[in-house]
Amino acid sequence: MKRFRVISCSVFRREMAEAARRSPCHIDLTFLPKGLHEIDCSLMRKRIQEEINDVDEADYDAILLGYGVCNNGSTGLTAGTIPLVISRAHDCITLLMGSKERYLDYFQENPGVYFKSSGWIEGSRNSDEINQLSISTRNGLNASYEEMVEKYGEENARYLQSTLTDQTRHYGQITFIEMGVEPDDRFEHQARKEAEQRGWRFEKMRGNLSLIQRLLNGDWNERDFLVVPPGRSTDASYGEDIITTKQS
Amino acid sequence: MEDLSQLQEAVITGDATVVREVTEQALAAGHEPLKLVNEYMTPAMDEVGRRFETNEYFVPELLLSARAMKAGLELIRPLLIASEHPSAGRVVIGTVKGDLHDIGKNLVAALLEGAGFEVVDLGVNVDPQAIISAIRENDADIVALSALLTTTMPSMRLTIEALQEAGLRDQVKVLVGGAPVTQKFADEIGADGYGSNAVAAVELAKQTIAEGR
Repeated sequence: MKRFRVISCSVFRREMAEAARRSPCHIDLTFLPKGLHEIDCSLMRKRIQEEINDVDEADYDAILLGYGVCNNGSTGLTAGTIPLVISRAHDCITLLMGSKERYLDYFQENPGVYFKSSGWIEGSRNSDEINQLSISTRNGLNASYEEMVEKYGEENARYLQSTLTDQTRHYGQITFIEMGVEPDDRFEHQARKEAEQRGWRFEKMRGNLSLIQRLLNGDWNERDFLVVPPGRSTDASYGEDIITTKQS
Repeated sequence: MEDLSQLQEAVITGDATVVREVTEQALAAGHEPLKLVNEYMTPAMDEVGRRFETNEYFVPELLLSARAMKAGLELIRPLLIASEHPSAGRVVIGTVKGDLHDIGKNLVAALLEGAGFEVVDLGVNVDPQAIISAIRENDADIVALSALLTTTMPSMRLTIEALQEAGLRDQVKVLVGGAPVTQKFADEIGADGYGSNAVAAVELAKQTIAEGR
C-alpha cells in the first residue's frame, strides 16, 4: 500500500478527511491555517516548506500538497528525498470545483463572485499571529472607520474609506460550493445570509471531490497534477499548465 | 512672508487643506510655481516614499500625502501649462479584464497624480479595447495595468497583444503590477516594467518617461 503524507490548507479539512476515508492508500493528514494566504507569499512558502522538511520521508512514498498556486505561496517549494505532488490549480476553488477548466469557465462568466465552502466559513477567523502578519494589517488597511476617524480626522477617513475599502466592493454574488461533506445546511444558510446582508445574489453550486480524491488516491495524470521530483522546486508557469518545476 | 516649510510639512503629514492654503498664499505673493513644486512639494513626497519604504508610513499615510500633493498641484498646474511646462506624463491605468480589485490600482493612480502625472483611470475589469481608445484619446505615454489574481494575469498578456494589433505598442510603455505579478512574468509578456509596490511603480513611471525624452 502506498503511503502519503498530506500537507493541506485547512480550508479543505472536511474534503481531505472524506477523500482520505475513501482512498485505497495510507493517508496522514496535516493541516495548516487557512489564513496563510493572507500573509506575504514568502512567509506562506516558508511555513509550508518547514512542514515539508519536518516529514520523516522514510515513512512515505510522496508528500501531497492541498494547495493551488495560491498567489505564489506554494511556488518555490522544494521536494526533499521523495516527490511532492500538487494539483495544477490557481487556488482552492479549482480543487472544490474538481477541475481548472470548470473554474476558469465559471470565473470568466462571473468575475464578481465571492466563493464560499464549509472550510471558508469555518476558517473565517484567523489567529492573532496571522492577523498581525496579514498584508492588510501590515499595510495599515485593517483599521475600522472609527479608528481611521480617530487617527486621521473625519474628512480624511471618508476619503480613505472610499479609496481603500475592502477588495470585494465590486463583487455582486456569493457562490456556495456544496461538496457533500457538510453535516447539514448550516454553511449554506450562513453563506445565503451573508449574500443577503451585502445585497448580493446567491448561488449554490455542486462541487466535485474528484480532483482531491485523485490526489489522495495516487492517481496523478500530467494534465491535472504536477509531480515534483526530489531536489526540484515548484515554479509559476503563467500558462495553461499553471505550475511547473525548476532546479532548486 | 509665508512659511514655505509649512507646505513641505503639510504634504508629509497629508494635510490637503493646509497645502491648498499655503500654495494659494505663496502664489499670490508671487512665488515661482515651479519652485514650489521642485523645492518643497517633490522633496516632501520623496520623504513620504522613504518613510513608506522604512515602514514608518503605511498605505493610508501614503494616500493622504498623495492627495495633499495633488491639491497643491491642481492650483499650480494651470500656471505651468500657461508657461508651456509639460506634465510629468500621461498615464492610462486600470485593473485588467476579469479582475474587480482596485485598492492597489487606486493607490498607484493617486501616487502618480501626486507625482505630477495626468492620470486617466479606467477602473476595474477593463477591456483591452477600452485601453486602446483611452490611449488614442489622451495621447498617453504609459499604460499601467493591475491584477490581483493569478487567474486574471493572462489578461495582461492579452492587453499587450491587443496593443500590438492596434499598432500602438511602440507608442506607449506598459507597466504592470499587482500581488501575484513578478518581474519574470512582466518580461515574459513583453511589458516594459514591473513595480513591486506603489512607490516603486511611481519611480518606474518617472524613469520610463525620463528615458523616453
